[in-house]
Amino acid sequence: MSATIIMPQLGETVAEGKIIAWFKSVGDKVAVGDRLFEVETDKVTVEVEATEGGTLSEIRIGKDVTTKVGTVVAVLDGGVGQAAAPAAASVAPAPAAAARSAPKALSAFEEVATAKGRFGKANAGNDVRVSPLARRLIAENGLDTETVAQAAIKENVRRIDRRAIALHMQQARSSALTVLEPVQATSGTGGEVVTLNTIRRRTGERLAENWRTIPHVFQAIEADFTAVEAARCEIRARFKAEQGISLTYLPFIARATCLALDAFPQVNAHFDGKALSLSRDVHLGIAVDLNHSGLVVPVIRGAGDFTTLGLAKAIARMVEKARSGKLSADDLSGGTYSISNNGAFGTLFTAPIINAPQVAILSVDAIRKRPAVVETAEGDFIAPRLMGMLGQSFDHRAFDGAYSAAFLSKLKSIIETRNWAEDLTSGRTR
Amino acid sequence: MIAKTMQDTPTPGASANDDIGTATRIELYRLQVEIRDCEKRAYDLFLQNLVKGTSHLSLGQEAIAAGFAAAMGPKDKSFCTYRGHAHTLARGVPMEKVLGELMLRDNGLMRGKGGSMHLTSAEHGVMGSYAIVGAHLCIACGSAWRAQYQGQDDVTVCFFGDGTTNIGAFHEALNFAVIWKLPVVFVCENNLYMEYTPIADVTAVPHPAADRAAAYGLPRILIDGNDADEVLRTARAAYKLARAGGGPSLIECLTYRHSGHSRADPGKYRPPGELDKWLERDPLKIYRGRMAEFGISPEAIASVEATSKRKVEEATTICKSAPPASEHLLTADVYADGGWAWRN
Amino acid sequence: MAELSYRDAVIRGISQEMRRDKDVVLIGEDIGKAGGVFKATVGLYEEFGPLRVRDTPISEQAILGAAMGAAMTGMRPIAELMFAEFAAVCFDFIANEIPKQRYMTNGQLGCPLVIRFGNGAGVRFGAQHSQSIENWTMMIPGLKVVAPSSPVDIIGLMAAAVRDPDPVMFFEHKALYATKGEVPDGEIVDVLGKAKILRPGRDCTIVALALMVPRALEAAGILARDHGIDAEVIDVRSLVPLDTQCILGSVVKTGRMFTVEENPRLCGWGAEIVSIVADEVFWDLDGPLVRITTPHIPLPAADNLEDLAIPSVTRIVERVSRVLNGSRT
Repeated sequence: MSATIIMPQLGETVAEGKIIAWFKSVGDKVAVGDRLFEVETDKVTVEVEATEGGTLSEIRIGKDVTTKVGTVVAVLDGGVGQAAAPAAASVAPAPAAAARSAPKALSAFEEVATAKGRFGKANAGNDVRVSPLARRLIAENGLDTETVAQAAIKENVRRIDRRAIALHMQQARSSALTVLEPVQATSGTGGEVVTLNTIRRRTGERLAENWRTIPHVFQAIEADFTAVEAARCEIRARFKAEQGISLTYLPFIARATCLALDAFPQVNAHFDGKALSLSRDVHLGIAVDLNHSGLVVPVIRGAGDFTTLGLAKAIARMVEKARSGKLSADDLSGGTYSISNNGAFGTLFTAPIINAPQVAILSVDAIRKRPAVVETAEGDFIAPRLMGMLGQSFDHRAFDGAYSAAFLSKLKSIIETRNWAEDLTSGRTR
Repeated sequence: MIAKTMQDTPTPGASANDDIGTATRIELYRLQVEIRDCEKRAYDLFLQNLVKGTSHLSLGQEAIAAGFAAAMGPKDKSFCTYRGHAHTLARGVPMEKVLGELMLRDNGLMRGKGGSMHLTSAEHGVMGSYAIVGAHLCIACGSAWRAQYQGQDDVTVCFFGDGTTNIGAFHEALNFAVIWKLPVVFVCENNLYMEYTPIADVTAVPHPAADRAAAYGLPRILIDGNDADEVLRTARAAYKLARAGGGPSLIECLTYRHSGHSRADPGKYRPPGELDKWLERDPLKIYRGRMAEFGISPEAIASVEATSKRKVEEATTICKSAPPASEHLLTADVYADGGWAWRN
Repeated sequence: MAELSYRDAVIRGISQEMRRDKDVVLIGEDIGKAGGVFKATVGLYEEFGPLRVRDTPISEQAILGAAMGAAMTGMRPIAELMFAEFAAVCFDFIANEIPKQRYMTNGQLGCPLVIRFGNGAGVRFGAQHSQSIENWTMMIPGLKVVAPSSPVDIIGLMAAAVRDPDPVMFFEHKALYATKGEVPDGEIVDVLGKAKILRPGRDCTIVALALMVPRALEAAGILARDHGIDAEVIDVRSLVPLDTQCILGSVVKTGRMFTVEENPRLCGWGAEIVSIVADEVFWDLDGPLVRITTPHIPLPAADNLEDLAIPSVTRIVERVSRVLNGSRT
């Protein structure tokens, strides 16, 4: 049974790609996750990894050939062979279900194409049930049902589903990713050479291009988070208990950002070098650090329609997906504005790099008590206030400093003066 | 239209007033003989287990099929019940196609897809044989409506049994045809039995169709269904009325079936002597006598009979060596694209 | 572009086809001079005249038989069954005569006709005039079945149904007649056998039909806002042919599926879809397949009881959120 490898969809506007290197030859064994080939598109160069295992039986598109997205570039003969042992856990995973775009021919006696594959157990010990999808993912990723079950039980969860597996893999990755492989010291500085991983390489090229082509201007404004903190403290314990999510400042900032963008639509736009395309909806990118080994910016679509708590849940979900490597191309595209949360290490401000084709990006740095001047009827006093710097890099081709500053001023005003207690309980999105 | 009874026979030697003519008479006889011979062969083949499933024979009812068919043209449409072999043959469908379908072979009229009860030949105007009692009366109205709407002059002829007159669809169709003045001719073949029950036991009126005509504002027409000439004249008049925009007719033809309801039924529920009485009024016997009265030679008659027997033998030979229904057709023609797909 | 009501869309769809082809005719009870009991055929009699828009007696068998005979011999009739349940009065034609013609005659004859049904609940007519019966026709080989949820779909699918050479069961929902929607100008012709993803989403797939479609959409909004659940909503539109690829593709993406059905529970249209999904994409399922349906009861006349019975927005939200967010422990 063979599976086809196709030129993947590498970005919203990418229609074709050129294979610049093959890492496997015909006859090579391929495991899930192996590098297959490298593709160059007009935006970026990407390494494509195998999503199924097997033997590479045919290469149809060779090096230096440009071909349309979706073209079959190679054929993989599936199946690594059944293990001799009778235990269900050692059955090798069958290739994934056929692509939805190519339905098999049906016959009158097989009007439904029964799913193929035999994967692992449906029940782990201790009443833990495994969903069919999870069973397939466990098999395809070489995991062990019992180990995943243990992790689930620790979270007081009796069901292994896609979420449980993502969590498990994130934890596994965290321990794996922090290990950087040392290489022979051959550099001119006499120190170690640290090879960049794929994600860092990919994002590095994009960052460089954005930096090169966009005239970045940085502005910052200071905001008082006292009101936010008051509302946050009221609710965070209960929220944590009910949702299992820690409520940080980020959802409040995200909410305020969406409201501010309503009033300053040019900041919520795409720029192609000539024209500014305003977006009716806010699709908010949230930069997620992958344990110091790279950065991704998944997008919350329609973020403007979410409540603050809704944003908190959505952000948590995105972070989980990002850390378990389960973000899809859809999740990473279509953003109209981004927020980079850099406060964890106490920095004052950061000038982030804009995510083209967006026109601006907000950095949120440390929010901490600082001395501030408080004006009262009795006179001016110095008092500790919870302050944070909000820094925006913007594309000066799209609009001017005055517009950007006005936006930041609006953002500050919302953060400082919005009735956050009411916002959290009203359930309205405006 | 004045009600006819069973006594009306023209005087011998009245050829000068002969409204039917020798050619048509020979044709009427040919139709009846071939129906008889083919139906008898169907019976034999059933006993040999070559005709499968069920089969409803028209032995004894040939004159109705012949008379109404002879008066039709190629554009006219006919609808009949599951007792439809006679009506199918009478419209010119070759015997081997009919026998082939009864034997459920690939050479059958519908290549074995429909079977005995659903004989259809659109090219001959045979718009189906219908197995659910009464349905096709309503469908026949639709065909007639189409003729009226599109300004075409074909008539639709609809055959059914006495039992049909008690089902709801009969009444809906009659009322509908009358109020829209549709060019449809309803022909009730009253063979005195509704399946295994005497029709008189289950019908509120003595003549199941003729006695109901008045309920729909239609004239009462009751004829000897075993006299092909009478059937022919009645048919011609009804078609003329319909083509002229005069609306539908309801005609009850008295007849009798020689065999049981279907092949499975030996007809033992009939009172003794009844069958014999009716065999005296065998339509073929009546017609042989009629032809002699009008001076048609015994040689001409014998020629028709010999040709019929030859045709039956040829058809039988073809069918016996024909392959069974093709497996490729199992899922064919559920939909107009030829396929069966209900999903993508 | 104009805003048109669902019932005016019926009129527009029928008249579009009747203007195009003179063999398209309309018959039924009170559809002509009275413009239909739901006013869904107003104006057609005046425009096309009594020969093309013809009132019939109360004779459902004769109505469908006439449509069948006319279709078999060259016309393209549209017949109305005033209330969908009247299908039971003429079920011989729907189940035995019309759908089996082509097959039994080995392709010699077919029935290019459309039967329009006044389907569904919400207008307080009681048990015999309120049921949704798409499933009664979905199960019959040889028919095609559509149930549009919006004015633009009414027009497009009516055109597709009239032009289709096979018999099409066209279910209009009585409670949708007064609803409105945007409809482009000009001729509108849609395709049978295509579902529509009305709201893309990532956390679960909700498959709905007719009146249940706007309810599913409203529920999806609430699910996103209050429960952090991003639901993909599919309007099935066409039960036969079924756009299986659309539904399966969606479930492969989300791993979860719910159907929202107005049919009484047993053998509702969703049962078949759940069966196909459980069979064909079993290894993409992250949880049980759930059907949200009317209970298996005749429908009550009382308005509060009828509203309880038919799946409501609240019930959809509650069920989806409970199944997705609850009980992982």
